[in-house]
Amino acid sequence: MKYVPTIGIECHVQLCTKTKLFSEVDNDARGKEPNSCVSPVDYALPGMLPRLNGEAVRLAILAGRAMNCEINSYSRFDRKHYFYPDSPKGYQITQFYHPIIGVGYVELPSGTKVRIEHAHLEGDAGKLTHFDGYSLVDLNRVDTPLIEIVSMPDIHSAKDAHDYCKELWRLMRYAGVTYGDLYNGNMRFDVNTSLAPEGSDKLGTRTEVKNLNSFRSVERAVEYEIARQTKVLESGEKVVQQTLGWSDATGKTSPQRSKEVAADYRYMPEPDLPPIRLSREFIETESAKLPLMPASYRAKFGSVIPTDTLEILLDYPELMSRLGEIAPHAISLVSNLFTSVLLAEEKSAEYLNDLPTAAELSELAEMNEKKELSSTATKEVFLRLFDPQMKGRGARQIAKELGLIQENNLGALEKIVDVVLAKPETKKAQDDFRNGEEKVIGFLVGQVMKESHGKANPSAVQEILRKKLA
Amino acid sequence: MEIKREDIIHLGKLSNFDLSEKEIESLSKDISEIIKYISQLDELNTDGVEPTYQVFEMENVWRSDEILEQDASMEQLLALTKEEKDNQIKVPKVL
Repeated sequence: MKYVPTIGIECHVQLCTKTKLFSEVDNDARGKEPNSCVSPVDYALPGMLPRLNGEAVRLAILAGRAMNCEINSYSRFDRKHYFYPDSPKGYQITQFYHPIIGVGYVELPSGTKVRIEHAHLEGDAGKLTHFDGYSLVDLNRVDTPLIEIVSMPDIHSAKDAHDYCKELWRLMRYAGVTYGDLYNGNMRFDVNTSLAPEGSDKLGTRTEVKNLNSFRSVERAVEYEIARQTKVLESGEKVVQQTLGWSDATGKTSPQRSKEVAADYRYMPEPDLPPIRLSREFIETESAKLPLMPASYRAKFGSVIPTDTLEILLDYPELMSRLGEIAPHAISLVSNLFTSVLLAEEKSAEYLNDLPTAAELSELAEMNEKKELSSTATKEVFLRLFDPQMKGRGARQIAKELGLIQENNLGALEKIVDVVLAKPETKKAQDDFRNGEEKVIGFLVGQVMKESHGKANPSAVQEILRKKLA
Repeated sequence: MEIKREDIIHLGKLSNFDLSEKEIESLSKDISEIIKYISQLDELNTDGVEPTYQVFEMENVWRSDEILEQDASMEQLLALTKEEKDNQIKVPKVL
């Protein structure tokens, strides 16, 4: 029997606010001592009260709009109780009944639309490190603001699961709501997978793979679960609904400690936090701050930049925004330079922090178009635009300093060609060409290039040579 | 509502309490009493009444996103824990 996989994904996104969701302590614990970014509120000392960070509300609006979601005018917080050392309060503050972000959708590069069920604000938990016989608790991450994005089960392949996670990552970074550093857990994915016989209108029993932190592991875990569940079903057994962990090293999923069921969380309204009520005007004003999203860039550049190049470039929001600023006729060349020169050489991280201005890039493209720069020289000048030593000098100045500008002046070129043709050592080649030996033109062009110290435009030289030798 | 022995054991597990036979027995009785007392509220007819989440009619109590010096230092907070190691809180392994 053929089985159809159905996949739904929950994604946790850490918001890049300066302070935590409920206290005025530093939210950026990167490179800091364990437990050094912790307030008495995070420690849940008696009498401590949470105070909502307004910036997290604003970022949630941007995140929601990036996913074409409705923003709910009324939302509030609830307590989700569980016992674990990563949470001194004994509960997580989340939005169970009234989330801030409503229904929407994310469109994948393939055109597949994945609907968003809702997304809500909540506080992160602390970090546990397990040792032999004991665990250590670092509370730096407690109440880092998160939005949890819950998709509808609209995904039906491992590839689409991968693409959905990657598109979410792009959307969140374009919206500017997260650092998007996957390695450090800024975005984490829980993936629900089930199989149903083809044509069935009922979904099968699902498993949930928790805490995946790369697109590749999402794809591999889904592939693995589809294969594993197919085997289970084909042998006539039933898939057990359970929570699984994933190991990149073994490439396998394995059962985890069974979590409490919903009723055990004893959800109750959070009495310490008054509700959020957003006016239409406020939502509109905040939404207007959303910059162009990947979908808009696809529509804008789709006819100029080949799809595979564009999909690579779309991983870099700053680069796309710069491309949006340069002259339209220059886009094709500049996007090629970025893909072939920078990204191909894996220099991207350091280089992309400080991009050349739109004017510099447009000027470079123009010089290339006018054949003042050969394609090799264009790449050379492009790289120099990032060079701290040459910063701000502009493409023309740099090309001049490096002596890379091609001689295009026909009169001047003709003089050089005449000099070369007058040389006895080119005599034989000239005769050969006149006798129909086409390929010696290359030798003659080379001689002219040499005479011009590499500054002549080879195609112009060839044209003049052909005229003169006709 | 009657509280069964299994309910107490389940609640104990959720709260990570090791309960003795005697405690299970007395807790069953106590919790049943507490729920019976609270259940008096069920006598009220609340059909069509909006749920009340809070009694103060406040909304949008937000603060600005600025880091403030904390009243308690890392050392003070860690001093409150039973055991620490390398600036972290040491706990029995819970899985």
